[in-house]
This record gives sequence, C-alpha cells and structure tokens, in this order.
Amino acid sequence: MRKLSFFLVSLLVVVGILLTGCGQAPAPTSKPAAEPTKAEEVKAEPTKAAEVKAEPTKAEATSKEGKIKIRWFVGLGAGGDPPQVEAQNAIVKKFNESQDKIELVIELVSNAAAYDTLSTEVAGGDPPDLVGPVGVRGSNAFSGLFMDLEPMVKKMNYDLSKYDPALVNFYRVPGEGLIGLPFAAFPSFLFYNRDIFDEAKMKYPPDDYGKPYADGKEWTVEKMAELAMTLTVDKNGKDANSPDFDPKNIVQFGYHPQFTDARGEATLFGAARFVDDSGKAVIPDNWRTAFKFYNDGIWNKHFMPNDAQVQSDLLAAGNPFSSGNVGMSIVHLWYTCCLGEVKNWDIAATPTYNGKVTAKLHADTFRILKGSKHPEEAFTVLSYLLKDEAPTLRNIYGGMPVLAEEQPAFFKALDEKFPQKVNWNIAIKSLAYPDNPSHESNMPNFQKADERVKVFYTTYRGTPGVDIDKELESLKNDLQVIYDAKK
Amino acid sequence: MVVTSKPAKISGLSFFEAKWGYIFISPWIIGFFAFLFFPMIGTLILSFTNFNLVNAEGLKFVGLSNYYKMFGDPIVYSALWITLKFTIVALPIGIIYPVLLAALMTAKGLWGRQLFRTLFYLPYIVPMVSAAWIWRGFLNTDAGWLNYFLRWFGLPTPDWLFTPFWIMPSLLIISLWGVGNAMLTMISSMQSISDDMYDAAAIDGAGPVTTFIFITIPLISPIIFYNVVLSMIGLFNYFLIPQILKGVAGDPGGSTMFYNLYLYKTFFTYQDMAYGATLAWGMFVLVLACTLFLFGTSKYWVYYTADER
Amino acid sequence: MTTQQLTSKSPTVLSWQMRRFLIGSSLTLFAFILVTAYLTPFLYMVSTSLKNREQQTNPNSPLWPATVATYTYQDQVYTMYAVPTEQGVQNWALVKKGRDSSYFIDPSNPQAGLIEWKGQWRALQEAWVVKFEYSNFVSAWNMPGQAANFPRLFFNSTMISFTGVIGTLLSSIAVAYGFSRFRFPGQKILFMVLIATIILPRTVLIIPTYAFFVKIGWVGTWLPLIVPHFFANAYNVFLLRQYFMTIPREIDEAAMIDGASPLRTLISIIVPQSIPVLIAVTLFHFVFAWNDYFEPLIYLSATPQLQPISVGVQAFNFMYNQQPAMIQATSLLGLSLPVLIFLVAQRYFISGVVLSGAEK
Repeated sequence: MRKLSFFLVSLLVVVGILLTGCGQAPAPTSKPAAEPTKAEEVKAEPTKAAEVKAEPTKAEATSKEGKIKIRWFVGLGAGGDPPQVEAQNAIVKKFNESQDKIELVIELVSNAAAYDTLSTEVAGGDPPDLVGPVGVRGSNAFSGLFMDLEPMVKKMNYDLSKYDPALVNFYRVPGEGLIGLPFAAFPSFLFYNRDIFDEAKMKYPPDDYGKPYADGKEWTVEKMAELAMTLTVDKNGKDANSPDFDPKNIVQFGYHPQFTDARGEATLFGAARFVDDSGKAVIPDNWRTAFKFYNDGIWNKHFMPNDAQVQSDLLAAGNPFSSGNVGMSIVHLWYTCCLGEVKNWDIAATPTYNGKVTAKLHADTFRILKGSKHPEEAFTVLSYLLKDEAPTLRNIYGGMPVLAEEQPAFFKALDEKFPQKVNWNIAIKSLAYPDNPSHESNMPNFQKADERVKVFYTTYRGTPGVDIDKELESLKNDLQVIYDAKK
Repeated sequence: MVVTSKPAKISGLSFFEAKWGYIFISPWIIGFFAFLFFPMIGTLILSFTNFNLVNAEGLKFVGLSNYYKMFGDPIVYSALWITLKFTIVALPIGIIYPVLLAALMTAKGLWGRQLFRTLFYLPYIVPMVSAAWIWRGFLNTDAGWLNYFLRWFGLPTPDWLFTPFWIMPSLLIISLWGVGNAMLTMISSMQSISDDMYDAAAIDGAGPVTTFIFITIPLISPIIFYNVVLSMIGLFNYFLIPQILKGVAGDPGGSTMFYNLYLYKTFFTYQDMAYGATLAWGMFVLVLACTLFLFGTSKYWVYYTADER
Repeated sequence: MTTQQLTSKSPTVLSWQMRRFLIGSSLTLFAFILVTAYLTPFLYMVSTSLKNREQQTNPNSPLWPATVATYTYQDQVYTMYAVPTEQGVQNWALVKKGRDSSYFIDPSNPQAGLIEWKGQWRALQEAWVVKFEYSNFVSAWNMPGQAANFPRLFFNSTMISFTGVIGTLLSSIAVAYGFSRFRFPGQKILFMVLIATIILPRTVLIIPTYAFFVKIGWVGTWLPLIVPHFFANAYNVFLLRQYFMTIPREIDEAAMIDGASPLRTLISIIVPQSIPVLIAVTLFHFVFAWNDYFEPLIYLSATPQLQPISVGVQAFNFMYNQQPAMIQATSLLGLSLPVLIFLVAQRYFISGVVLSGAEK
C-alpha cells in the first residue's frame, strides 16, 4: 500500500512537473536557432501564464500587459502566399509597436482547415475578432456570424462618403446589415502566355474591350475556343485541330478557367443565378450553353484539361496556368500572387458571349465576427488595415483600389513586380463589366445548395458526353428540395 | 482457476483483487470524467436540440426530431452502405496482410530483418496530408507513376481517382500502405512466443504452414482480436483520406460519401451541429453493437494464455 | 567458426545448411520485391522533394530528379536538345520555338549564329542530367515567412510527443494491468466503456472539448495536448491488456505468493516480459502525437511559436500550395525523428525477446 501511494504520488509529481514545465518551456528554453521569434515569445509568455489561471475573458487574461488581444484570422481567402504572409506579419508588428492598447495576433490557417477551425472557435465560444481577406463566398459560408458595422462606422466616424454609395451597398446584406467596408476590387480578365502564342506564331488576344481579334472577327467565346484548339498540343507536336491528334498525351492546353466553380465558369456566358426572386430553382439558358461548352471543350475538342490533368504535375498540381503549359486562363487580379515560373504573361480582354462581356468580380475585404469580445478595438484594427495599410495589403493581395486616384500608384508597384509590361488598362476596364448578380451570390440553404452544384460541377467536367440537359433537370429538382427545406 | 481451488479465501482474495483493480484503473477513471465524459454527454444533449453555428442563442430542445430525421435521411443509408462495403473488403485484408507481413518479418533466415521492418513501417509515419499528396500524384491518370509502370508492362491504365469504380481499389491500396502499426503489434506478439512451442510442433512433424496456423495464429489471437476491433472502429470512422483527396462532396459521383464524411460535412460545412451529433450517436450505437458482438464471439476464437476473467 | 563446423559435418547437415541458405535467400528476395513495390510511392515522395519546378511541369522529364542541360547564349539560358540532322544527331540549344521549324544554336560553333531546323521540336529529346534540388530542403528548414522555423517546430513536437509518451506509458500500463489481472465488480462494463470512448467520432467531440479547454484557460498552451495522455486511452490500454493476457498468470502469481505487492509484480514481472509491446505503444503514441494535426491547430492557432511540426508544416504548405516538391521536402524533414526513434527502438525489440526467454 505504501508503495502504491508512493507510485501515485510520484505520478502526480511527474505530471505536475511536466505541466509546469510545459507551461513555461518555450521562453527559457528558446534555442538560439529561433532568434527572430524570440521577441514574440517573450511577449507571448506572460499572456499565456495568465490565461492558465484566469477566466476566459480576454480583458483579464491580458491585464498583465494591459493590452487587449485582437485575433486576426487569415485563411478563408488570400493571405497564405509567402510574400503575403511576410507582409502581414510586418503589418502586425508595426501595428503593435505603434500603440499600447491593443495586441494584434495573426492566426494563419491553411484554407483546407480554415472553415473547420473557425467553426470550432465560434461554436466553442472563443471566436477570433477579425476575419479576412474574405469574399462573398466566405461570408455565405458563415452567414449570420458577421457583425453589422453600421453602428461602429457612425461611432468612430469612419468616412464612407468618398465611395460610390452603390459600392458601399455591395457590402450590405439583407437581414445582416453592413458586414464589410470597401477595400479592394479583384476584377477578372484573360491571362495569356506570350511564349505559347509566339511558338504557334499566333497573334495575341485583343488588348482592349470592344476591339476585334487580329483577324478582324469579333472577340467571342467561340473565337477564344478556336485559338485554344490551336494552342493545344500533344506530345508529337500535333495540335487539337489535327486529325491524328493524340488526346491521351496532351502536353499543352489552350484554355483553363482557373480557381473557380460551376457558377464562376458559367458566368463567362453572362451573369445569372440558380434561384429566382421567389425562391424557385431555375436553370438560366446561357448557363446551360456554358456547361455544354465546357463538357465539349474538355472531352471532344480537348482544349481544356480534365480534373485528372489539372491535378497532374504537368499542370503544376492544380495551378495550371503557372505551369507554363496553358495558353489562356480567365482568373482574377489576385492571381498575380501565384504565377509561379511563368514570366512572359500579359492580360487581355474577356471575350464576349452574345455580344456582351461579363467579367466576374471579387471584392474581398475584412470582416468582424459578431462574437468578438472587443468590437471597438477590432474596429480600430479594421480601420487601420483598411486605411493606413491598405496600399500595402492591396498590393500583396493583388486587389485594385476602388478609388481612381489611388490606382496609378497601385499599378506602378505591380509593374516593378512584373517587368514584362502588363497591359493593366484591361484590369481597370474590366471593372465596367461586373457580374450582377454575382457568381458567388447567396442561395437559400447555401452550403447544401452549393454542394449540390459542386456535384453537378464534377459531373459536367468529369463525364465524357454526359447529357447536360438531363443533369440540369435533376440539379433543378434537387435544388428546389434544398431551397424548400430552409423555409 | 486458482481462485476456485481455494474457496476459503474467496472473500478476502476478491476484496484484495477488487481494491487493487480499482486502484490500477483509477487514472483512466479520473481522466474519463475529467476530459471525456462531459463532452460526450454534451454532444448527446446537443442531439436533442437545434444547435447550429448561427442560432447559438435561440437554442431550444426539439425532442427526438433529429433522430426521426436521421431515420428518414436517404443519404444516411447510402453513406452507411458505402462505409459497410468498404469495411467488408478492407477489414479482412487489413488484418491478413499485416499478419503475413509480420510472419515474414519474424521468419528465420530472413536477412536484413531490421532494415525490412523499418522500411515496411516507414509509410505509417508519413502524415496523412502528405500521404494524400503522394497518392494524388502517384495515381494520376496520365502522369502518375503507377500508370506509367502499367503502361510499361502493356497493361490497361485505369482512371484511379476519377471514376466511381476505381476509387475504391485506390482507397484500399492507400489504406494498406499504412499497416505498419498493425504489423508491429503482430511482430511484438509473435516474438513473445517461446521456441519450445515451435520445437514441440517440429517434433510432432508439423510443417511451417501447419505450425503457423495451429501454433502462431492462436498464440497471437489476442493481438489479432485487438487489431480487428480497432480496425472495425477505425473503418466505421473512416473519412480523412477521401476528404483530403476528393473533398467533402464525395466525388466522383458521390461514391466516396462515407458515413463519417457525411457526419463531418453536416457538422462543419452545414454547421448543423445538432444533427451532426445525432448522426454521431447513431453511428455510436451501431458500432458499439458490432464491438459487443465481436467481444461476444471472442471466447470462441481468441486464446488467452492467462484466462480471461 | 561456422565454416569449420560445416566442413566437419556429415553431408545431411551440409544439405541442411544449403536448404537454410536457399530458404533465407528466397525469403529475402521475396521481401525485397515486396518492399520495392511497397515503397515506390515513398520513392515518388523522395524524388518529388528533390525536383525543381521546371522538371515538375515538363511532360518529357524522367521520374528521377534531373535537370535539362542548358547553354547560355547572349546572356539567355536555352535548353539543349538532341537534334537529328544530316550530319547525325547534334546537341543543340533551342533558341526560338516554332510549330514547323525552330531555331537552334550550336554550342560548339556559336559564331555560326541561329540554325533553322525543320521539324517539330516537341518530338526531340531533351538532354537530362541527374540533379538534386537541395534548395527545397533549405527553404523547408528555414520556413521563410513563418512565425517559427523548422528547428523551433521540431523542438515543440519533440516536447509534446515525449511527454505524451511518458504519460501514456505510465497510465496505460497501470490501467491495462488493472483490467487484465484483477477481478472487480463492473470490470466488464468499465472495459466496454473504455472501448466505447473511441467509438464516438472525434469530429463531434471537438467543439465541447474545445469549449471546455477555453473555460479552464488551456487554449494557447500545450496542456490540452499533453495532460489527457496521463490518464490512459483505449487504444493503448486495450493493446497492453491483450498482451498481458498472453503472459502466463503462473509467473506473476508465484511472485505474489513470494510476498511481492501487485505493483512490484507489475514492475518486476509484467513490464520486463512486455518490452516489445511497450515499444509498439511508444512508437504508436509518438507517431500519433507527431502527426496529430487538427487538435494542435485549434488549440495553438493564435500562438504559432508553440505549434508542433504537423501544424507548422501545414501552414507552410498552404503557402506553397501548388509546389508538391516543397510539401514533400517538409514532410520528409518531419519524418526524420520518428524514423530515428524507430531505428533505436528496433534494438530493444530484439533485447525484449531475450528477456522473455525466447531465443531467435
């Protein structure tokens, strides 16, 4: 018995030692290897020790330092690329040095885990304060969780007068209020690889909206597909027009609509929604054409890669245009983050469908969560990011300023990054053709509806010669059921 | 046995035994109440509410309605069927393969045993997420290594990850890649079998196969049983690899919509925590029943040197 | 020594030796083939980690890490191809690509200027040379842009894993001993409760557990990742219990009759008999703790300097999302310690056998 109590006591002692040891381990044992982080460690240390004892209220927890901790959650959109991470860290550091009331902490979570992590933190009663950059999509996924900024804007005298009221309204969501403030615009347009066009001795796509292609014909989606066919080449050098073209061994593709979903791909054929104002599921006709176009382009004409090809190493494991093996791609301005080794690229006009250009638009921003325990301080940080640091942040995220007077400086900085002379005029002009309604607009019962659309996405992209009309009919029926379930 | 032979001391001995038994299991009891019991009860309560991420304040009890919903949910049945199909195939293979591997790794005469063991164990250490990356590249239709080799031998090259038919064999291959731990437990058990047993069998003229089936297997049956139970639980909870490889929509064509993927999706993507908790408890009851069944059968095929009591 | 014995033995023994050799070599050959097939995905991982980005997206590239031979002409780097010409195959650098004809430069005679060559350049073979892109490992080590670099994450993971291993070993041995050697009321039910704790999907336990750790202020520390392991878990207890039940009860009963307390019996009889399985548990927990991802992520998401490798590597990979080489390089670096531990543990595996009295 004595031995047992000795055993138990020693067990407890070991546990105790380890616990205290672990709680304090990081600071004193900091290795010389981690020099740059040392400063942060020392700072973080008292907070942590305090947290162990204190109630979860952060005001108390941080009282030792007298600073209120504001957590900035990054991961739902941009913000994970190496230069972006570095710039964000620098901004946080600068902010923390600039004042003594707030301690800004960044939470960088990979996109794959970001939704789960944020859900857990919110449901667990410990939400971060600030989330961003996040777009309409991310806000749909967490709809109802973002704070209405209207009262704060009034209280803190945040100046919105310089913006077009229509633009501010873009961030107003019925029933939720003003859940974002203008920050940046991310128009989409056609990226193309000059080397690939040169190799095929082809003329570049039009360098302005309203201009025809070099052959004098209108710059339409069909024309773009035609070019893409010639740019698609198999391993013997035969292009997709050639009768002995080998679709099993394609080494270069003409076109790929990158980093988007079914609604995003379809929007090239005009803006629309899968739901009408009365809450009925609808299949827009132009989108029907679009889905047939993509299925045909992937499986019959072969100028677009299928999902297996997109994920292969040949197309940089999911970032095709950056591999240098894709001729054209419609992506947003934020893609300037991730062009990889492709250096000789430029941008061109988005092609027309039925005589109309639709260049889908993103307008990611930062948002505050309703559950934030310190909304005022969070708003202080928010306005710091949106005002003081906006030029830097826009630059790293590839987000264009919405105010015309701020645009030249923005593009000048981009020119330094991309010395090959990019036709930025296209980016500005693209803003005139936004998709309204947005390709990311809400649907009733959003997550489930969106997922059903995703299933359709893999169907029309993944099945050779699939009966699109039949699939759309079943999509429509399923969506109706999903929409109705919400009521 | 020992106890029954000394009837006079039953009460004293059993008191002694019970006291020490409780003392030794006390760490787990404490830990169970400190860290697991309340979260478990919490999710059980959750399943009778309407809790989700947004209406956290408008929380109310909804009785059994989540459970009614579960029994009427067609996805529950299809997801269960997919999970069962995979379990029925993967469970036996996932046991037999490491047993044979362990037999090979403990076979007399094998050279470089330590190296082989390390190499077979190696994939188990590879983190799930990088494993998913490896297999995504390795099984790619046009550019993957596997199809490269198949083409080399002039064999057909399946579209491994993108067709409902081939995705299951692919997942099976991936799960077999990580049997290192099961192999290790079998090896540790095989090594504890004393040579006397084998010598006795050899004297009786038993060949290596007979010895393996009638000596080795029964003697490691407790560890096989352990692996069967844990594999079964693990397979019913299986979803991480398909989730990383194919996303939460269950691509291709819903063929990887495993029960737990549906549960995970309900919980995090749909943020319907109440229904997610209901699905979890539904699964819990089913798997618990299977586990009890396995424990019930264990007395017919699991051989414990020290009697079970 | 064996050879001396061999020569002096009768022919039957010689053939027995021969048979042993044949069995050994065929077993080894079989194991070798199996392990080769088994490890090709792993080779893919290693090879990918050593490739540069150009090779990655080049459809004609070999499976092993390699780079194309290049030639620098007027300060521009061009790729070398084996070009069939009238004078035989020439190694020329491709300067200007075209569909029907392309322009090359002959490195042995650059003064001659550009040579036009009719034909499809894609059908030509590039000249590949083996080249390992070690720089992937250098960036993986330094983790530019991350709050903590690799050594820091490595240290964190080591601390979390080792303390967890100690905790789980101490507690699981005790609990498994309790379940396998003592009879007490409710034993069967309690054991089923123990097993049941791992049946409920972890997905749904995350939120209440997280809320609990927020309440007691453990979020942002290592405590939620370590302390629970000091209270045993079903995986390890079940395995140890199964193993303990293969140890004949007579041995420890003899010790008990000699007056040893149950604890003494556990330490001096059961534990030495169980070294192999204890090592299995150690490795099992170590690998689990080393690779556990979601829990460390949610508990430490706001304190990156405390994160373990699994989380840091993920955040780092997120940054290099479309660069498989970087992802595999960081993963390989992360594997180093578990592999080392396995190699060390192997020795005890052998000694464990000796202790249990079976000689192999």
